[in-house]
Amino acid sequence: MNSIIPQIVANSIIAGSLYALVGLGFFMIYRTVKFFDLGYGALTAFGGYMMYWLLTLLSVPTYIAIIGTLLLTAMLALIMNRLVYRPLRARGSSNMVLLVASLGLFTAIQAIIAILFTSQFKTITIRSLQETVTLFGAFITHTQLLMIAVTIIVFIGLSVLLRMTRFGASIRAIGDDEEVAKIVGVNTKNIVSWVFIIAGAIAGTAGLLVGLDTGIEPTMGMQLLLKAVIAVIIGGVGRMYGVVIGAFLLAFIENIAVWHLSGEWKDVVAFSVLILFLLFKPKGITGA
Amino acid sequence: MDYIIHLFILIGIFSILGLSLNLVIGYTGLLSATHAGFYGIGAYAVAILMKNTGMNFFIALLLSIVITVLSALVIGVVLSKFKDDIYALGSFGFAIITYGLMLNLQGVTRGPLGIPGIGRPELFDISFSTNLTFLILTLVLAVLVWWMTRYITRSSYGRVLQAIRENEKTIQFFGYTTYWYKLSIFMISAGMAAIAGALFATYITFIDPSSFTLIESIFMIAMIILGGLADNRGAIIGVIIMILLPEFLRFVGFPTEVAAQMRQVIYGLMLVVMMLYRPQGIYGKFKF
Repeated sequence: MNSIIPQIVANSIIAGSLYALVGLGFFMIYRTVKFFDLGYGALTAFGGYMMYWLLTLLSVPTYIAIIGTLLLTAMLALIMNRLVYRPLRARGSSNMVLLVASLGLFTAIQAIIAILFTSQFKTITIRSLQETVTLFGAFITHTQLLMIAVTIIVFIGLSVLLRMTRFGASIRAIGDDEEVAKIVGVNTKNIVSWVFIIAGAIAGTAGLLVGLDTGIEPTMGMQLLLKAVIAVIIGGVGRMYGVVIGAFLLAFIENIAVWHLSGEWKDVVAFSVLILFLLFKPKGITGA
Repeated sequence: MDYIIHLFILIGIFSILGLSLNLVIGYTGLLSATHAGFYGIGAYAVAILMKNTGMNFFIALLLSIVITVLSALVIGVVLSKFKDDIYALGSFGFAIITYGLMLNLQGVTRGPLGIPGIGRPELFDISFSTNLTFLILTLVLAVLVWWMTRYITRSSYGRVLQAIRENEKTIQFFGYTTYWYKLSIFMISAGMAAIAGALFATYITFIDPSSFTLIESIFMIAMIILGGLADNRGAIIGVIIMILLPEFLRFVGFPTEVAAQMRQVIYGLMLVVMMLYRPQGIYGKFKF
């Protein structure tokens, strides 16, 4: 019985890192433009498929494939912002209009991926990342270690960016009041574009890591997106470290539940957690 | 000819779904994605009652409406506390929980295997086993639902719903407990979705959880947004366009797998384009 606990802890940490990574990108967008961008989910799937396309189908060298994936995903995020979100926001559309539009983008992009690459489950293999190490009696693959490391780097990077740079101050200003930010001379259009580029690259990273770890299918985006949303909400919508806490809390609850029930109940448990938080602690753990 | 009757039956079933969802989304302004869940609960209730107890369709229909309305009560008690994007998000959660239960409560629903061999409805000596007679039954029920929604929306109760949509705070100042209004319309709408579910189950004579996913809810949302929110004609027009449009794709000669995905692309882009250029839909009186 005891021998299974290290593995559950390890699985929770791995899943928590992934949710945190996806959640951080989602949070960046939400922090700046204040609507739930569901299209972000499609970006993660898109990232996974671009990696598959570049690495497996075109046999491009690994590093170039990774950079290519990030660039392509960031570009798609930028295009989505330019063509849909920016015009809607300029018109002062409500959050609900943006939510529905982003839902439309999500549905369309997911289906286009399925048309281009079929809806079959696909795996991406980099041989050196498949090896396993044993830590405190738990098995962890190199991919999963990479996932944890990337999440830490992204978290630190974003923290520095948001707290210590002029760019970060601008993001916070837009998040607080876009009109006032514009008046005091923040180039809001430019900043928002960059937010989408950064969030897109994070989504791409998460997508390709999922591809390396478990594999990809066109519907993976919704899964990741919803887990990220849950992490953001239970962590407390206002704070970035809240996202990370929320992500790990969600991952631990899920994995403990799976241990007692079975794998199929994971989503039911995750969303029950969301509903409970919305009901009893709508401001999340950090309560911002 | 059979093909045309088939399309009309689908239009009938989805009109019931569109009209009932319009009560919640269009008239009350609450973006609910749980509708496919209620559609599914209704379908499963009828299928299980008819197969396991040999119950007559019409008695099973009444019971399934009761069961679905009670499920809506459980969900609505939580959901009615929210509004706007949090309401939408909560409803996403419930859609996924409902789907998860259909998939995992295998003792009741047989999980992914689905329930085959559901009988067609019968009433005394009349059997609705041919598609033509089934179409007549569908249309009769659809007209009934049309008439009920018309009655509801033109009553004083309906006007309170529209006031909630326009400004929930203000109507609260006038002494209306908006919570009860939001909860009751959610339950009424779910009961109507159960009728559609019952028709679907006995028409196709086979059901499995894949017909009642979150994506299915998104299709329904796309239908009524296209036709127009808060307008019965709009809901029907939206349903007709959205059912017929993908059928043309089959004539153009796309393979089945691609045609199914193309349907999603069209639905998704439709949402985006409507939000950008005509957020109130073709006939609608309300936009988010």
